[in-house]
Amino acid sequence: MDDHGLLERVRRGDQQAFSRLYALYQSAIYRYAMHMCGAAAADDVVQDTFVALLGRPARYDPSRGSILSYLFGIARHHVSKQLAVRGNESPLDTPDDVVDDATPLDLVSRDELVGQVRDAIQSLPPAYREAVVLCELQEMDYATAAAIMHCPIGTVRSRLHRAKAMLMTKLAARQGAPLATTRPTR
Amino acid sequence: MTERQTADRVLADALRAIADQDAHASASPDVEARVMAAFNAVAMARRRRARATVAGLAAAAAIVTAVAVFKFEVRSPKSEQTSHQTSDFKLQTSTLRSAVATAFMPLVYSGVPIVDGHVVRMEVPRASLVSFGLVPVDSVDGAQGTSSGTVLADVIVGDDGLARAVRFVRARPRAEERKDR
Repeated sequence: MDDHGLLERVRRGDQQAFSRLYALYQSAIYRYAMHMCGAAAADDVVQDTFVALLGRPARYDPSRGSILSYLFGIARHHVSKQLAVRGNESPLDTPDDVVDDATPLDLVSRDELVGQVRDAIQSLPPAYREAVVLCELQEMDYATAAAIMHCPIGTVRSRLHRAKAMLMTKLAARQGAPLATTRPTR
Repeated sequence: MTERQTADRVLADALRAIADQDAHASASPDVEARVMAAFNAVAMARRRRARATVAGLAAAAAIVTAVAVFKFEVRSPKSEQTSHQTSDFKLQTSTLRSAVATAFMPLVYSGVPIVDGHVVRMEVPRASLVSFGLVPVDSVDGAQGTSSGTVLADVIVGDDGLARAVRFVRARPRAEERKDR
């Protein structure tokens, strides 16, 4: 059964259909929320997203995208609220303009590098972090990411480009040496 | 390969590694339990609303039917019940004094302008109380209604025969009525 049929059954009160829908998409929503506002808040975002879906299943319009995109749209709203509560991060729609092209590199193990990249992603301004999370970590195409982020595809591309540049800069600042010399461990 | 390209590739590898590590991350089982509980609550509320709607429609249909039957009877030349019909609201007043009533509640045709009308007392199904959000009288204090599962209601009927509003009536105990006098 396709997603639309599943949602139809949810509308009619079919618990199994809802359970299936949850199983299909909770992980993607959780990962997005985890990268955007931390693991502790991610559970709340998942819960709020699916409860919101229950309250308005009829508002989903198949012509405007997949159910996953629709769920991401709801989740994004709740992520914004979480970020606003913290108060120390910029809203998702107004990214800071900060970028350098620096790439100092260092000798670092792959696992260390992955940990550092993870930390660096968390420290990106939310709008740039979102581009990395959706396009790189969730491996979405630009069109889907643009629909979720409510911006043109070109904006997604440029945010992603800038985000990567910022990551390079942050990593370089930590290492004090070129990233390009990073030693692969496997 | 330039230094920049190498750096890009290292970053891309790191991002892919993060995606792989997080591929199986998911919300805690507690979240699923809470979401399913919310689903059950919403489903139950919808079922309750559906039942109330059906009861409301049934009650409205019963009232409309009762009004139609009543009007048919009072217009019949052979009918002896003409005295029950009130040509204006005043005539009902004496009857209403001896009753405790809810406020008038609008019915489907309440928006249709009315020039003249009648207040007609009739028996309607007890379920109609519920459809207006009221608790059946006898479930509270064991008082009135009729033995046949109906309650008394005053219905405002326009001269066009359409019911505009209804209120539910409970006859006062005689002792209480005497005290008032």
